[in-house]
Amino acid sequence: MNTKIILDENEIPKKWYNIQADLKTPLDPPMHPQTKKPVGPADLEPIFPKELIRQEMCQDRYIDIPEEVRDIYTLWRPSPLFRAHRLEKILKTPAKIYYKYEGVSPPGSHKPNTAIAQAYYNMKEGIERIATETGAGQWGSSLAFATQIFGMECKVYMVRGSYDQKPYRKMMMQTWGATCVPSPSPDTNSGRAILAKDPDTPGSLGIAISEAVEDAATHDNTNYSLGSVLNHVCLHQTIIGQEAQKQLDMVDETADIVIASAGGGSNLAGLCFPFVKDKIDGKNPDVEIIGVEPAACPSMTRGMYAYDFGDVAGLTPLLKMFTLGHDFIPPSIHAGGLRYHGMAPLVSRLHADQLIDSTSVYQNEVFDAAVMFARAEGIIPAPESAHAIRVAIDKALECKKTGEAKTILFNNSGHGHFDLSSYEGYFAGSLVDYEYPAELIAESLKKLPAIS
Amino acid sequence: MIKVGFIVNPYAGMGGAVGLKGTDGRIKEAIARGAVRESPAKAIRFLSGLTRKDLLFFTAGGEMGEDELKSAKISYTCLYHPHNPQSDQNTSIYTTAADTIEACKKFLQNNCDIIIFCGGDGTARDVYSCTGAKTLILGIPTGVKIYSGVFATSPESAAKLLSQWNGYSYTDGEVMDVDEEEYRKGNLNTRLFGYAKIPSSSIPCQSCKQISCGDDRRATEEIASFITEIMRDDTLYLLGAGSTTGAIAERLGISHTLLGVDAIYQGRVVGSDLNERQILSLLDHFGKVKIIISPIGAQGFILGRGNQQISHHVLERTGIDALIVVATEAKLKNTKSLYIDTGNPAMNEACGDTIQVICGYRMAIRARLNKEIILSECGPGG
Repeated sequence: MNTKIILDENEIPKKWYNIQADLKTPLDPPMHPQTKKPVGPADLEPIFPKELIRQEMCQDRYIDIPEEVRDIYTLWRPSPLFRAHRLEKILKTPAKIYYKYEGVSPPGSHKPNTAIAQAYYNMKEGIERIATETGAGQWGSSLAFATQIFGMECKVYMVRGSYDQKPYRKMMMQTWGATCVPSPSPDTNSGRAILAKDPDTPGSLGIAISEAVEDAATHDNTNYSLGSVLNHVCLHQTIIGQEAQKQLDMVDETADIVIASAGGGSNLAGLCFPFVKDKIDGKNPDVEIIGVEPAACPSMTRGMYAYDFGDVAGLTPLLKMFTLGHDFIPPSIHAGGLRYHGMAPLVSRLHADQLIDSTSVYQNEVFDAAVMFARAEGIIPAPESAHAIRVAIDKALECKKTGEAKTILFNNSGHGHFDLSSYEGYFAGSLVDYEYPAELIAESLKKLPAIS
Repeated sequence: MIKVGFIVNPYAGMGGAVGLKGTDGRIKEAIARGAVRESPAKAIRFLSGLTRKDLLFFTAGGEMGEDELKSAKISYTCLYHPHNPQSDQNTSIYTTAADTIEACKKFLQNNCDIIIFCGGDGTARDVYSCTGAKTLILGIPTGVKIYSGVFATSPESAAKLLSQWNGYSYTDGEVMDVDEEEYRKGNLNTRLFGYAKIPSSSIPCQSCKQISCGDDRRATEEIASFITEIMRDDTLYLLGAGSTTGAIAERLGISHTLLGVDAIYQGRVVGSDLNERQILSLLDHFGKVKIIISPIGAQGFILGRGNQQISHHVLERTGIDALIVVATEAKLKNTKSLYIDTGNPAMNEACGDTIQVICGYRMAIRARLNKEIILSECGPGG
């Protein structure tokens, strides 16, 4: 039995899968933040290229991946699918555990799958500079990597807490030619306003998004780029799930359980949407699809399905999504990439339609799983990815109890080489199990904007 | 320069090894049983661990601090001399709590920024009775009983904290009054004596990458902001003792009993410093009740110590679900688990193994819960 299941470069998918074509319930439209009316392409043109706006609203089932983008993908794609033989042995489970490993990309995560595509479309439309935000730094470093390939400038607003404590991600961005500043920054009105109110704030993804959007709206020839949440981002990530399906086919396997961590939702979308299609089509109707969230920021598991802003300042369109409230600043968990108050509208819709399940896990149990995985399989996972590992292990242990030989697939979305200080905290016993105060949640969501 | 008042209770901790569970009033007996002094060595460990040079020491004579500073080769000014500074195990005259108090008064007269003391809960109580919340204090745990939340975890951690302290950041720590006679019988009767100010380090944990949640005051304000946001007009709120709950009252613009339980309804105080009977009487008139309390002391007592007014009789009426526990992350940091002792074993069990603690704005920590207090295992906190 092979440990690695490898596709040839010419087997990189030629199209992205657009789940909008298969939704049981169409998406509610994004609303303009001021008028509260549905936004049209013209509303988005100040900050996004036309092709990405088209993809955002497109109902075609498949969208061609440009040859130039596929060519860059060959630097790390197709990514390997692993059979976790050693982990199965340690768990003494009859379950078969497979994982897709996205840590082989130059920035070390799944993020460049969309960063390359977004930078490409911006370059094609003559954009010379892109502004973006980043939490833990995976997205910022991925966009820095992508923009330098196309000779563009890149400004990254990095959540201050991570900026201060993740110097190596900053260095990666610098190496790839981007400018990275801590957010909130004095460079934007929204950043200055927050600093005036709270000079010591550790920042949040929502604040950083406000700054990057404002930067793009106020600078010539600059566009904004988002690393998750939006439809076109989820679309680009579907290359992961499509490859995984081909790889499972190679070993005559059908997934029973598909698991991915969920912050903004693109990682979950990337692995799972092609499997959701199989579920909708009746090809694999019983496949269980699970998004794993941190207990500290459980937007799907504990949030409300409602219109909310994507950022703190209220500059973005209002999106119908599972949200904890746009002014919620999640606690400083080590999985910084999962610290987002909302969930991708597409993922939210599928969750509301009960096609995707969700669960939340505590920080210490996530690291328990990460360490077990690293000791079994060798790869030290990012804390974000370890959320999926936690639930994969739990599911495998359930199989041990029931005796079922289920096929479990999860996305190991990135390596944790820049997160070793988090592991240090875990070994020192200093990680705190934050959680969202769920029973009080209804009261704390009163500030959501009203959309009739 | 930071002016440090430094005082050692030379007899603190002597009773522990010889089974006296404290030395209050029992020094002679402890010595007769062969007890040895532990405070001086721990005081020197603290002094040896200091890395900053901008500390100006004031102390009391002989074994109350002067000897230890001499041993550590640190210059000092002696402001107070006990009546028998050379007392030792061969004499019948020893320094007393009165000496501690007199020395602390001298420190305050000389505008010390902080008083560092070596001792246990009794010493903490003596020091606090002078300083109140005016001057910062920090305990180096050398006593038998360490239930107060004003102690560092060790002499070394006290040295590290003082070495990193910015000279002004502080948090609150409870000073607990333990009935020593009852304690010797195996009964832990504690009373919340007061809230002292203790230094807090604002340096984030570099090694573990954890993002600093800001200083304690900021977290306290966040808690107050969140709790006031969720308060409803149809609910009676019982607000327990402490500065964290006090911040909630402050945000509501109402008065608060620092060491007692108040009742709030529709933003107004409807009962102050209530006892159990008064609380039960109030419950007759209000259908919906929430109890907002903060863990007390080094061991993190949620119920059963220091806030006995919230008895199992009260909880039987409100239900355990009525509890909203609030505490800053800094306060929880040194408390591996919190304690609940409602006085009713079945109710203790119903509380489960963990409890949610609100630690910021819309933010909580899932903390482990213990229901048994093992006297001999109560270690220093801070």
